[in-house]
Amino acid sequence: MIIELGHYALVLALATTIIQCLLPLAGTLRNDRALMAVAPAAALAGFLLVLFSFCVLTFAYVVSDFSVVNVWENSHSLKPMIYKISGVWGNHEGSMMLWLLILAIFSALVAVFGSNLPERLRANVLAVQGLISTAFGLFILLTSNPFLRLSPAPAEGRDLNPVLQDIGLAIHPPLLYLGYVGFSLCFSFAIAALIDGRIDAAWARWVRPWALAAWSFLTAGIAMGSYWAYYELGWGGWWFWDPVENASFIPWLAGTALLHSAIVMEKREALKIWTVLLAILTFSMSLLGTFLVRSGVLTSVHAFATDPTRGIFILGILVFFIGGALSLFAFRATTLKAGGLFQPISREGALVLNNLILTTAAATVLTGTLYPLMLEAVTGEKISVGPPFFNLTFGLLMIPLLLAVPFGPLLAWKRGDLLAAGQRLFAAAGIGLTVAAIALYIERGGPIMAYFGIATGVYLIVGALTDLWLRAGIGKVAPSVAWRRFKGLPGSAFGTALAHLGVGVMLVGIVAVTAFETEHVVEMKPGMQVEAGGFVLTYDGMRSGQGPNYSEDSAHFTVARGGVAVTEIWSSKRMYTARRMPTTEAGIRTFGLSQLYVSLGDEMTGGGIVVRVWWKPMILCIWFGALIMMAGGTVSLCDRRLRVGAPQKARRMKPAVEAAE
Amino acid sequence: MLFWILVAILTAAVAVALILPLLRRTETVAAGGSHDVAVYRDQLEELKRDEAAGLIGSGEAEIARAEVARRLIAATRNADTGTIDPAGRRNRLAQAVVILLLPALGLCLYLATGRPDLPSQPLAQRLADPGNDVSILIAKAENHLARNPGDGAGWEVLAPIYVRNGRLEDAVNAYAQAARLLGASPERLDGRAEALIMLADGIVTDEARKLFEQSVSLAPDNPRARYYLALALEQEGDRDAARAAYEALAKGSPADAPWLSLVNRHIAGLSGETADTAAGNPTAADIAAAQDMSTEDRGQMIAGMVESLAAKLADDPADLEGWQRLIRSYVVLDQRPQAQAALRTALKRFPAESQNGRTLLALARDLSIPVEDVGQ
Repeated sequence: MIIELGHYALVLALATTIIQCLLPLAGTLRNDRALMAVAPAAALAGFLLVLFSFCVLTFAYVVSDFSVVNVWENSHSLKPMIYKISGVWGNHEGSMMLWLLILAIFSALVAVFGSNLPERLRANVLAVQGLISTAFGLFILLTSNPFLRLSPAPAEGRDLNPVLQDIGLAIHPPLLYLGYVGFSLCFSFAIAALIDGRIDAAWARWVRPWALAAWSFLTAGIAMGSYWAYYELGWGGWWFWDPVENASFIPWLAGTALLHSAIVMEKREALKIWTVLLAILTFSMSLLGTFLVRSGVLTSVHAFATDPTRGIFILGILVFFIGGALSLFAFRATTLKAGGLFQPISREGALVLNNLILTTAAATVLTGTLYPLMLEAVTGEKISVGPPFFNLTFGLLMIPLLLAVPFGPLLAWKRGDLLAAGQRLFAAAGIGLTVAAIALYIERGGPIMAYFGIATGVYLIVGALTDLWLRAGIGKVAPSVAWRRFKGLPGSAFGTALAHLGVGVMLVGIVAVTAFETEHVVEMKPGMQVEAGGFVLTYDGMRSGQGPNYSEDSAHFTVARGGVAVTEIWSSKRMYTARRMPTTEAGIRTFGLSQLYVSLGDEMTGGGIVVRVWWKPMILCIWFGALIMMAGGTVSLCDRRLRVGAPQKARRMKPAVEAAE
Repeated sequence: MLFWILVAILTAAVAVALILPLLRRTETVAAGGSHDVAVYRDQLEELKRDEAAGLIGSGEAEIARAEVARRLIAATRNADTGTIDPAGRRNRLAQAVVILLLPALGLCLYLATGRPDLPSQPLAQRLADPGNDVSILIAKAENHLARNPGDGAGWEVLAPIYVRNGRLEDAVNAYAQAARLLGASPERLDGRAEALIMLADGIVTDEARKLFEQSVSLAPDNPRARYYLALALEQEGDRDAARAAYEALAKGSPADAPWLSLVNRHIAGLSGETADTAAGNPTAADIAAAQDMSTEDRGQMIAGMVESLAAKLADDPADLEGWQRLIRSYVVLDQRPQAQAALRTALKRFPAESQNGRTLLALARDLSIPVEDVGQ
């Protein structure tokens, strides 16, 4: 019965989101506050209903209720509990439920914390949010209902795709969805502004934190996905310019641009219309990503089910929201008041440059992703746009951006001094070049561009710190004063520095791995040795083992340096019983920021086995960089000033809010 | 009943939550621009901080201050004039929308796909009280064997059930366990070898052949093992040896043995100049017929059951499992045209693109019934 109740709650949630869309919109049209007041109530009710429904589905997974088709198709009673729970979103239906849940969470957040928003804005935002929820609610109920039943129920499920039976599934999709869906709020704010034909001053104050939160989650989600693919797929790569990866990377680029233009808008009320457009584009790219991944247009581990009706339905949602939003923008953008003026060389100008490059980069990646699909659809010809295209175009675009990044925070608003900023960055550039020279001395060789890459990375790191250094006045004032000023710096200053520093760390990692990694593919018999990264690996033999729902063969390697055994590595191949599917579990050992990566290939006749051994220097920098960027976003989000909004108003509104609950 | 009461309560609760804001009279009239005013004041303060921190030149700060001040004045003017209509009126239409839409849409969509009659079935609960749920009984036996892997009789009972449910790999394992624990017997060896052959799409693999050889060494007059050994020879291309083996088998069999026709067919095929069965892959039906060698009268019994099943399905074609059983049975009885016809009829009821239709097509592919002309 509980299952059916969850199903009904989901249906009721759909009805609620329809009301959340219709009544507040009517309210803003008729200036009726009572109708507008329905919006937060509906958002909260819808959230509770979706939450209940999601919990029921999770419960069905936990107790292995195979009378639910979705559970039967994707679960197994012997699966460890964590994968039973993460398996809820490890399939198409469940992942759409997670999407809907996060959408509902964001609506509820606006309802709860939006009391300092102008009423009309809040009603419109929640109405648009309701419209998006309605579209996805309909999609779930009509094409991907997770509550369909099976009678009689089978005794055992078909198990989850073994590649997904990993802690990564518990982390990567929720983070990514928090990012994707978080941008839906920026979208809703943009549409609300367009519906009303005016942008409130509070608008940017609200869009920026949401963009920041969504961006932080998306950053972490993509990084987690990259690391997961790295250790689980056994190919030793961390980014493949795979269309599915690009589908998440394009919204990230657009979102990064949005984040920066929202700063200009919040501080200087400039770039208003552009920010609105970016907010629309960012979420549109999120939707496009969902469409590409979910429709089965792309085949990958993410395309859980390839059902044409689903693809067409998502395409419909895509056309409706993107087309509708852009049309609305075309009609209404002229009524929006343009903001303040500024000189080209200024903080604003630097942020515009950032926006230009990032949006161009997003467009480039989009082209590279869609062009093969279009070509195949039109001419039937199959081409592959691979890493060379992206490395060349995207790489070239990034060089000026990366060099310009440290300049941004050093330029003043309105009118900046490029020369002064350049002089302040001399130290950063010098340290970068010195580090690169040291690296060259140690490595003795390698591509010269790699050393420029490392120099740029270090320059970014030091450049980001330079801003904090200068603002605290270290070296100019007494240390105690500098420390006080340093502590007194706003959170957003630390956030900026951390995020930019993260980019530098990531760049160092990318360059080091690309230029200096070594790969050995050898056929090994017990006792044989292979050398990688200054270590000698000895293959000792295989051992068979049994997991809860798989059997595995693990190879044991002894790792020695200079004849002394330092550590050991187990690398294994698993066979999951229910799906008869093999997976590789790469053996990875971390040395500082570098890793030794051992993956098993096919067994050869005569007792040998193909072994792939990679030495990945500084590879952890890539993901640490992303984590630092995310930390920057979080620090910036905690900035006290962002919460100011309308303080007196908030206090006055309090009693009314309490009454509403 | 309890379910519908809960549904009613849930719907009512949501309706009340949505209608409450519509009923409340709002006395205060918010000023449209007051939010903006607060934000602009805040911006002025921020400008002061930025100027102190040297983030903006003092000249530029002055200009920016003038910009913000202009906006502030405009917003203050708005705050004076732009009032919102104090809507004290009751929104009867909106209330009606809430009251009607929630239950109407909720029930329509739910009843279209929901199964209010179906209780939750957590696995633990089903295991505790299996009733006559075959799959659960198997699962229970598996759980028992997982705890007592030394129970050879348990494996022995489970093995043929696995074969019948198409879980061949499990069957191979179960037969192997039974033979390991209880000792090799022709029944256990043959069963395992047969499951291996079915897994290999009808090819008598090396592993299977060795099992049959062992089985013949235990019981030399075992027709099933001898048939497969002959088949192995035929598949290897050793036609003369194969024919000799078949003929020896036919000679040693009673005249009314049900497998004789199958053996004779092979002999005829091998005697002919053109080797029309030379491909040598026996169909699933051959395997099934061979299985009959150990239980001779099973064939007739099955035929009778199949007839009654077909009659039942003609009356009630909505029984998916019945159709699956019928198709499988026809194949077992080597009546492939009937199997194909049954598949076609079943697909009319369950279209190929539906979940059930796909189940049927998968079954057909499993049984190597040609699906191209039936499926589309």
